[in-house]
Parts: sequence; C-alpha cells; structure tokens
Amino acid sequence: MNIEKKIELLRQMYTIRAFEEQAEQLYALGKIHGTMHLSIGMEGSAVGAIAALRPDDLILSTHRGHGHCIAKGADLQRMAAEFMGKATGYCRGRGGSMHIADPEGGNLGANGVVGGGIPIAVGVGLSIKMQKRDQVILCFFGDGAANLGPFHEGLNMAAIWKLPVIYVCENNQYAMSCSTRRAFAIPRISDRAAAYGMPGVTVDGNDVLAVYEAVSAAVKRARTGEGPSLVENFTYRWRGHSKSDANVYRTREEIESWKKKCPIQRFRALLIKEGALTEERAKQIEQQSYTAIESAVTFAEASPEPNLESIEEGVYA
Amino acid sequence: MAIPVIMPKLEMAQETATIVEWLRQEGEAVEKGEPLLVVETDKITVDIEAPASGILAGVRAEPADIVPVTEIIAYLLEPGEAATPEMAATAVPLPPPPAVQTAPALAKTRATPAARRLARERDVELRTVTGSGPRGRVQAADVQTSPITPERPAPAAEVIPLQGIRRTSAERLAASYQGVPHVYFTMRVDMGEFEKARASLNASAQRAAAPHVSVTALLVKAVAWALQRHPWLNSTLRGTEIHLLPEINVGVAVALEEGLIVPVVQHADLKSVSEIARRVNELVARAREGRLAPADVAGGTFTLSNLGPFGIEQFTAIINPPQVAILAVGATRPAALVSPEGQIVIRPVLRMTLAADHRVVDGALAAHFLAELREVLENPTLLLW
Amino acid sequence: MREITYSEALREALRQEMQRDERVFIIGEDVGIYGGAFGVTRGLFKEFGEERVIDTPISELGIAGAITGAALTGMRPVGEIMFMDFMTLASEQLVNQAAKIRFMFGGNATLPFVMRTPAGSGTGAAAQHSQSLENWFVHIPGLKVVMPSTPYDAKGLLIASIRDDNPVIFIEHKLLYKIKGPVPEEPYTIPLSTSEVKRSGQDLTVVATSVMVKRSLEAAAQLAAEGIEVEVVDPRTLKPLDAEPIIRSVMKTGRVLIVHEACKTGGYGGELAALIAESEAFDYLEAPIVRLAGRDMPIPYNRTLEYHAVPQVENIVAKARELAQGRI
Repeated sequence: MNIEKKIELLRQMYTIRAFEEQAEQLYALGKIHGTMHLSIGMEGSAVGAIAALRPDDLILSTHRGHGHCIAKGADLQRMAAEFMGKATGYCRGRGGSMHIADPEGGNLGANGVVGGGIPIAVGVGLSIKMQKRDQVILCFFGDGAANLGPFHEGLNMAAIWKLPVIYVCENNQYAMSCSTRRAFAIPRISDRAAAYGMPGVTVDGNDVLAVYEAVSAAVKRARTGEGPSLVENFTYRWRGHSKSDANVYRTREEIESWKKKCPIQRFRALLIKEGALTEERAKQIEQQSYTAIESAVTFAEASPEPNLESIEEGVYA
Repeated sequence: MAIPVIMPKLEMAQETATIVEWLRQEGEAVEKGEPLLVVETDKITVDIEAPASGILAGVRAEPADIVPVTEIIAYLLEPGEAATPEMAATAVPLPPPPAVQTAPALAKTRATPAARRLARERDVELRTVTGSGPRGRVQAADVQTSPITPERPAPAAEVIPLQGIRRTSAERLAASYQGVPHVYFTMRVDMGEFEKARASLNASAQRAAAPHVSVTALLVKAVAWALQRHPWLNSTLRGTEIHLLPEINVGVAVALEEGLIVPVVQHADLKSVSEIARRVNELVARAREGRLAPADVAGGTFTLSNLGPFGIEQFTAIINPPQVAILAVGATRPAALVSPEGQIVIRPVLRMTLAADHRVVDGALAAHFLAELREVLENPTLLLW
Repeated sequence: MREITYSEALREALRQEMQRDERVFIIGEDVGIYGGAFGVTRGLFKEFGEERVIDTPISELGIAGAITGAALTGMRPVGEIMFMDFMTLASEQLVNQAAKIRFMFGGNATLPFVMRTPAGSGTGAAAQHSQSLENWFVHIPGLKVVMPSTPYDAKGLLIASIRDDNPVIFIEHKLLYKIKGPVPEEPYTIPLSTSEVKRSGQDLTVVATSVMVKRSLEAAAQLAAEGIEVEVVDPRTLKPLDAEPIIRSVMKTGRVLIVHEACKTGGYGGELAALIAESEAFDYLEAPIVRLAGRDMPIPYNRTLEYHAVPQVENIVAKARELAQGRI
C-alpha cells in the first residue's frame, strides 16, 4: 500500500470518528430523532475492509454502518442530511441512520435487522456471477448475526455456488448486552467458516492494515471465482449498543482498556513512526476531517424537510 | 309501628302498575280507608285507599313510576314516630321497564342503506314505509312503491305517549292480529221485528221507570242466547286444548278518549233484558267516568262491538284474546230486501260481521252461529224459548 | 383456442419470459431436475440449464434473500417456495427487506422479483402444507399480491408480474394446477391490479379469490337454474386492488357475498367488506355484506373434516341463495 492510500485510510478513520462524535452532539442537542448505533473504536474494521475493494465493488452494511458508508466514499453532506431526516439525504429522509444507502456508490444499504444482509449478499453474489461482472460483494455483520439462521443459510448458499461474497464479521464482543463469551461455545467466529467449506480468518480489527490484508486475500479469492470467505475483525465498540444503552453489562475498566487500543491513534502513530506523516500533518488531517463533518452538518441543518405530499413516494415502483 | 303501603295487585295477570298521583303529601295525615294515591294498571285507573291511619312517609315511587305489585311504595307512621333509615334503604327496585323502554327502539327504522338512499332521493319518510325484508327491514323496493311524502318539513306532530289503556290495547290488538288467524263472516239481518220488540220493551221500561233498552243491550241478550246454542264460540284455546267455558260473559267494547275498554256483562245468558240494560248503562257510564273496577272488565268470554251509533254500516273487529270470536255490528239502515214471497221490500237492515279464531272456529260453525243469531234477531220472541 | 392446464400456462409464461429476457431466472427448492414439487418448472432445467434454473438447499430465507439481492442488482428473479406455509420462513427477507428497501432508500432502488408459491387445502396435506396466508402479505406495503384463478389469468398475470418492477407474491392454488382452460400461445400480459367480472348477473355479487372463483362460478351456474343471476368478480391482484369493478358490481346488485379459502378472521374478506362499506356502494346495499371463508382453524387431515374446513360449492350456493332471496 502506498503512502497516499495509507494517509487516505487515516483520513477516513478520522472522518468516521468526527461524524459519530458530531452525531452524539446533535443527539444531545435534541436535533436527532430516534436512535443511532455508533462504531467509535471500530473504525479500523470498516476502513481496512473497504480499502480492499474497488470503487465499483458493492457492500451491504449494518445498523452500525456510518463507518462503512463513509469508507465506501459517501458524500458527507447527503449522509449528514439523511442522518437528520432531510429531503437532501441519500434516502430523502425515509431511511435515517439505520438505513443509509447509496446504491450508485456501491453501498446497498445499512440494515435494521441483525443478519438481514447476509441472505441478500447471496442474491447480489448470484447476480454478479450471472451477469459475469467482475465485482465482489462485501457483507458486513456483527457477532450477534452469526448466531442467526440466515447466517447458516446465507454462508452455505454462497459457498455451494462459489459466489463472489466476502463476509466480514465485525466482532465487537457484544450483541447488545450479551457477550460473545456467553453466546458462543467456540473461541473464534471464523471457525465456523470451515463448516461451510470456506476459509475463515480472525484478525485484529483495530489494526487497519491487518484487516486490509485479510480482506484483500478474500477479495482476490472472490474475484477469481473461488468463492466466499469469512473474515472476523476482532474489535470493540466504545459506546453503548444504541443511545439507550447504560453499559451495565461491562466495566468501565474494560472500556478504558479498549480505548487505549484506539485504531486511529495506533495507525497514526505507525504512520508517523514510518515517516509517512508528520505530527503536524496528522493534526491537519484530523482537523480537516472535523471541519468536513461540520460543514456537512451545516448543509444538513439548512436542508429542507421532505415534502409531506411526497410521503408515500417510493413504496411502489 | 310503621305500616308499609304496598303497590296492590288488582288483577290476576297484573305484574306492575303505574303511579298516577299521590293524593297526600309526605308528612300529611291520612285516615284508614281514605284514598291515598291513584294508580293505573293496564286496564283501569283506581284509587288506592290508605291501609291504616297515619302520617305518610318514605314515599319512594313518583308519579309515572312503574312499580311491581307487592312492592313497598311508602309507609304510614304513628304520630311522633320517625322514619327509619331502612325505609329509605329498601328502595323500590325500578322494574325492568317493559314496552316503554322498547318504544325508542321502535322509533328507529330498520332499513338497508339502499332504501335509505332512495328515501332521501324520493323524499319518502322511511318510518312510513312497511318493510318486506328480514325483521321488517325496509328494502329499496319498499321505498320505490311507497307514496312520496307530500310536504317537507313535516309539521311537528303532537306527541301522545302510548300508555295505560291505550298501550295495553295497542299491544293486545297487535298481538292478537299477528298471532291469531282471523276469519270473517258477514250476514245481513232484517231488524224489523227486533225494533218492534225493543220499542215495546222500552214502552214498558218507561212505565216502570226501568232503564232504557239500547240496541246494544238487546244485542247482548240475543248474542248470549246464540252462544248458549254454540258453545265453541264461547271458548278459549289453551295450547292444544279448546276449553268450552262454563259462563257466558259478554264484553261490550266502549270507546273512551283514553282508548278502548271492554266492560263485561257477566252471565248475560242468565240475566233478563232489563237487567242487562241496567248493567250495560251502568258500565258505560262508569267507563266514561273512569270508575271501572277490576272486576268490571274481567272474565269476558265473547265481545260485542257496536259502531251502529256512529253510522258505521259494516266493519271487522280484532278478537280480544283469550276469546275466540268478536261480533262487529253496524248501523241499522233501510235497505232493499227480497221478501220470501219474491217481492222487493224496503226493510231496516243491520250488517253484522263475526271475526273468529280460525284455529277453533271453522266456516260452518261460524255460519251456524250467525244463522242462529239472525234467527233470534229477526224473531225476538225466540228469546223466550 | 387451445386448452392447457394452469400449471402448463405458468410454465409457458416462465419459459417465454426467460427466452425474452436474460435477466429472468428461477430459483427454489427442487425446481431444477425435479421440475418443482408440483411440476410447474418441469423441463425448464433442461432448456435453460442449471445457471438459470437454480436448485437451492432447503433454505427458504436464503431463497428470499437471493431474489432480493439479485433483483436489487439488476436481475429479475422468480423464486419458488414449495408450500405457502414455508413463506413464514422466508418472511423476514420478504417483509423487512424486499418490501421496504425501495422506500427506505428514498426510491433509489427497484426490486423486480416474483415469489411464486402454492397455497390452499384439498390435497390431504394437513395443517402445515395447506394454508392460505395471502393476507399476511397483503398487509405489507411494498409487496404486490397476485392470485390467479384460471390458466389464462395464470399466464398473463405471471408474465406481468415478472415484468413488474416491484416484489410480487404470486400465489397459486394446488387444486388449480390441473385445471384446463383456453390460453393463447403467444406471450401476453394481464395488467396487475385489474379485477375481472368472470360472470355477469344482477341479483348478487360474489367476490371470490383463487380456487373460490371456480367454485363460485359452479355455484352461479346452479343458481342460474333457479333463476338467481350471480355476478362473480375476481380481484386477481389482491394488492394493490382494483376496487372499482367490485364497487360497481355491488352498486348494481345491492348484495355481496365474499368468498375465500383463508380463515375468516383477519382474512381478505374483511378488507373487501370494509372497502365496500366505505365506498359509494354503501348506499346501494340491500343486505349486510356477507363473508364465506375458511373456518378459524388449522386444516385437518381427515378427508371429510378437510372438506368442511373451507367453503365448497354447496356452501356458496346456499349462502348466495339466502342472500339473493332477501333472507339475510
């Protein structure tokens, strides 16, 4: 990976962090309707995985999908506007935080149902294969989704048909409050890949380059017609499951210990150590990210509400 | 010691009575036997006497209240005695109000949406339309064939509550007309001899200062005479049994302002014409004054309705259950008859129509009865038989 | 016109659409070599190959996800769920995903797929293989629900469903597969959301769906001999419904009997009844709106019990007669 790309990954991680911190603030100010699921602390997973894709490749995201969306190259203004339910948003205010989608940009949507994207990935993979297109579909899901029936059906079907799918499990160790220690009898979720006849690998999800490497190998396999893979990014979410989470199921010490493993600080330090980046340049990137988000939010706030007369538009084609 | 005043049971089949008015206020003294209040039953309005002397207290039924018989409606206290809480506590349970409460439901017409639309379009008052659908529901076709209501808006009608005698008559007549298969028979009678006999009787009556013999009175006698010979007409249907009744009690329909009432001439077959005349006159007068006693209207076995005095020549009447027949009599009018000699003669003619319960009385039976009755009316001396 | 079966009509529609449009493919359990549990896709595997007639593992949710994902990315898949009862297994993808994706994306997506599935009782398959669950899907905005009752409608509606840009739940009936009727050889479409008057009459309107259309037409023929002229209206597309022919018919006859096989409570008949009551037809009603539907019970195995669990011709005759004669 060249230096420019590495710097771009750092910028993406900062942008995600900035977006989500800003989102929290907007929520605190009462400007956000509903809830949101923040991926603060998990930026390395989203950015590292998507860095392995080409711009024309596709992703299926999750309810914790702001990072996926930004890493896939979303327009920050349209994204912020959707987040605020505005007419200028990606989904014209119909989707919100949990359903941001940008089909043109290759983002086939965040999903409010845990595991909801896993069977869809089968269809997308099938479609790519039938149309003999040179694309892959990367499907994100969390540790919780790996215990759902669709995981079984989806991974099996993708495997038997050798579909160009990369299943990326973002294991942040908690399905809402239920820890993976209580929900799995196996040490690694990637161990399940063997059951479907596909490679499975677990990587440090807070190491953006490790994620990139692992997903790149899976992408190569998918693109060459060898079929799907399962990559498990072992990571941690700093915030609660959603805005209503009081974090009673884990200790402050645990959270603090993971904050010390911040994927952004780690990558920044690496780049500075490698000489790819100066401290000043790093600060500048960080600052630019926050500025970009502020300007996106300004755009969103100034944007109009959806027209009430259009309320039912989009139900049927 | 407080004496309870109860709603008296005045008739066999009576379950409730309506308070008309209290003749004493609460706290007023009343002597035993003095009228204390007026109540109205289905048939009559009567004064209820105080059951004891005392001070009226604890009145718990207001005028217009419908009270089950035997319920306590007030107390009579001894001077100085105080009303107890129990008196107030044992409030009269307001009866499940019968027809009065169903009346509003009747006011709402059952009709299909289509019928309602047509009625709107054609300016037809739905409640004036007879419904042919299930449960009397008005269908569109019923509205189509009904006359258009002439003017709108209809002038406000004067509302007269259907109650007392009128309500009882209405319910009984409707029940009879719907439940009893009526069959009608009309016969003409040459009243020449009857009129002669009545004139002669009245001449005697005048001399003896006895009551005037009306057409009705003499008809009652003749009807009783014919009933003696045709006991099936003097019967009642109980389930699957026809009971031939031991007495001949002829009811006489009397139209009052409050409705129709039928006082009864008991044992009409055993009474002389003079006795019947006295009784009929007395009953009619009492009925008009609202002073009929329960016994005056009880026990009829056959009914006579004479609308002759109103100029009606012929009509049909509705049977008064549990009786099985009613005779509707019109006015006597000069009419052309063919005499037994084949001559056209002008005679005083009366038309009488028997309405009978066809379950008990068939055509031949009715014909025989009417023929017998005509025979006695045309030859009144047969009454001496 | 030549006569073919409902099943053959469906197959012909699939074949002609697959010939016309490379994006159309079939996916489901046993649809390939086996030819489908009821034989609808027989021969297509040979003709189009395993890449376009795809056998799946027993993974109903997977099938639903597959057609959702494929439709979202440019294909026009036709899925098959072997029995409508198993639509429950597929319903997460159909209800939460496919039905809502276009709307959630602000209109920036289309999902042109058809999910075919046979419903209905009468085959002795008992409680878990005989249900008529159309109203579950009728209740979901974003889905279209089609229920053909004749071979002609089956072909025309299936072609129209494949060409429609929305997810279409296409509900067939097991007892209709072998029914023969005239069907043109060339491809044709019957536009979705067009109700059809299948028989004209002025005494009573019967609105029936699927196999109940056939039974209602038989009942109407019997009643005609008694002088009662029944108008039979078939919605064909339950959602979005073309209500106008139904309302017009009820305005003409003033009496309406709604017949469907699904359980009465919460069934489509309730929707139709409410729709009629809310419409202009209300003012033309000459009797209560009457529903004749499946009993509120699972379909029993025993032949006699099964027969009596859902409306039959004689039940329709009796109820229609009562209604037409003004006894209701």
